Amino acid sequence: MSIMSYNGGTVVAMAGKECVAIASDKRFGIQYSTVSMDYPKVFEMGPHLFLGLAGLATDVQTVSQRLKFRLNLYELQENRHIKPKTFSSMVSNLLYERRFGPYFIEPIIAGLDPKTHEPFISVMDLIGQPCISTDFAVIGTANEQLYGMCETLWQPNLEPNDLFETISQALMNAFDRDAYSGWGAVVYIIEKDKVTVKELKTRMD
Amino acid sequence: MFDIKTDTRKMPIEHHFNPYEMNGGTIVGVAGEDFAVIASDTRLSEGYSILSRENPHLYHVQPHTVMGSVGFHGDSLTFNKTLQIRLRMYEYENNKKCSTPAVAQLISTMLYSRRFFPYYVNTIVAGINNEGQGCIYSYDPVGSYEREVYRAGGSSSALIQPLLDSQLGLKNQGSFELSRSYTVKMSRENVVALVKDVFTAAAERDIYTGDAVFINIITKDGVFTEHFKLRRD
Amino acid sequence: MQHPKQQTTNPMVTGTSVIGIQFDGGVLIAADLLGSYGSMAQMRQLPRVFKVNEKTVIGASGDYSDYQFILEKIMQKVNQDYCLNDGYVYKPKQLYSWCTRVMYNRRSNFDPLWNRVVIAGLEDNQPFLGSVDLLGNAYEAPCIATGYGNYLAVPIMREFLEKNNNKITEAQARDVVDRCMKLLYYRDGRAYDKYSIAVVTRVGARVEECKELQTNWQVASQVASYD
Repeated sequence: MSIMSYNGGTVVAMAGKECVAIASDKRFGIQYSTVSMDYPKVFEMGPHLFLGLAGLATDVQTVSQRLKFRLNLYELQENRHIKPKTFSSMVSNLLYERRFGPYFIEPIIAGLDPKTHEPFISVMDLIGQPCISTDFAVIGTANEQLYGMCETLWQPNLEPNDLFETISQALMNAFDRDAYSGWGAVVYIIEKDKVTVKELKTRMD
Repeated sequence: MFDIKTDTRKMPIEHHFNPYEMNGGTIVGVAGEDFAVIASDTRLSEGYSILSRENPHLYHVQPHTVMGSVGFHGDSLTFNKTLQIRLRMYEYENNKKCSTPAVAQLISTMLYSRRFFPYYVNTIVAGINNEGQGCIYSYDPVGSYEREVYRAGGSSSALIQPLLDSQLGLKNQGSFELSRSYTVKMSRENVVALVKDVFTAAAERDIYTGDAVFINIITKDGVFTEHFKLRRD
Repeated sequence: MQHPKQQTTNPMVTGTSVIGIQFDGGVLIAADLLGSYGSMAQMRQLPRVFKVNEKTVIGASGDYSDYQFILEKIMQKVNQDYCLNDGYVYKPKQLYSWCTRVMYNRRSNFDPLWNRVVIAGLEDNQPFLGSVDLLGNAYEAPCIATGYGNYLAVPIMREFLEKNNNKITEAQARDVVDRCMKLLYYRDGRAYDKYSIAVVTRVGARVEECKELQTNWQVASQVASYD
């Protein structure tokens, strides 16, 4: 049994044309039993900034709260919104502080630059080794399935609506082949002047 | 038939020898209305090295039946060799070629015969049945099997299967009706094009899949083959 | 108390890489003459490539005594063939198939022959090159190398074959094999500078006199902390 798949869950992010999307499933389970079906793993960290965490649920909550805390301090001190890239470093730094006793989570950061509105996506391992990607990023128990889906469905410069369709289809078909994730999904489409949240009804088995 | 030497059982034996190995490879099978497609990559790996770039994992076992087998290459080879012998015996005893459903049952029995020292292989059988329909059977290493419409097996199965669900099963696209059909409606050309796409995607992320795809299209007129290049890194 | 039965679960006297390559009208394999006992260079004139018959040669890396066992079995079969006197000899593919069965059965009995065997020859005037390992894994390829050769020699041979569209002359094959053996001697700590070649062409099979590698160690003095 792996700690990373104790509770299950999966997150995916994709870049589009002047927009990004991030989505997660809503299952919370303990090994093979599903405990809750309303447990999204994407957290709003700012107007254009979202954080997805997959892995051990207790660490997902701890890390999201500690990051929100550090983010608030940063924004009070700097009196401006954080850039996604800076936030990514903040996440990396927090995780590496626990290099030899890590949080059992993997994060995805998705957002738009507060000034230039340039799309940004990054993904890390559990000790904070970052990887900034220009196309998509996947984590969680359905990561292999998501790689297969994203590698064929994703294409450059998708408009927000097409991006929503692409990320939703990628996520749903991926987690339908994973026992540890599914049971509904939530999708965020982040554009310059609006963020759209959509809940997906999916098969519940 | 697969009797392990009995004298080794009299005394406990110290083992540090691992009789299995994972040699990679991916197979995909799709059943069409009057054809079946089965494809595999041609890479044979051992750890991080590539032993061969031109070793398809498909075995043409009967005129209208092709078996794909990936996992431990030594078991694949042995299983195929034994199967060929069993099929020849079938032919002599029944004075006819073995049909695809019969091959499928035979493979299940043969895999189960090694239930306690399994063939470490992922198997898919593709062919035409006696009604002229395309059919696909897929197996676990110990012989549990099922007739299916489409199936991906091997090192990239997790990457490819959801893609087939989406593109062939039309899952999550509004229709909640359970399909009772054992074949896809798609044309031969489109299935082959899809197979090339899914292998290209798999080769992108899976180091054990690559070099080329070897596609077998099985119809009542026989087996047609196609070769498609993949990335080689 | 009864002790658990011990088997060849690790090799004693070992041979390192065997390399083989096909060329236009034939095939050749090469292996050095060293039998290592752990890290000790124990036997320095140990032949590792052999002629089976006029169509087939064989070589192996790994445990030398297991290799001798395989060779003994093969030579028994060859002698039986000879006694029948019907002009029939084992073809490389038959020998290769036989080796896969022996190796696979031994691994299935948890008593493997600790080798990787390379079989080369001419089958219906087409060059054949195949390899079988201790698990029963087997494959054919235009070039094959075992052990460190798989990391060091195969990329060189593959590139050379690809550049020449898989059509190279015997002289070219000999040249690339010599380069590979030299590289292995420089980089593989268990390799040796004397090696022998077995070659099969339409004329027949033959194991050649041992060759000595022309090596150059002048750069050694430039390497920090070498002296």
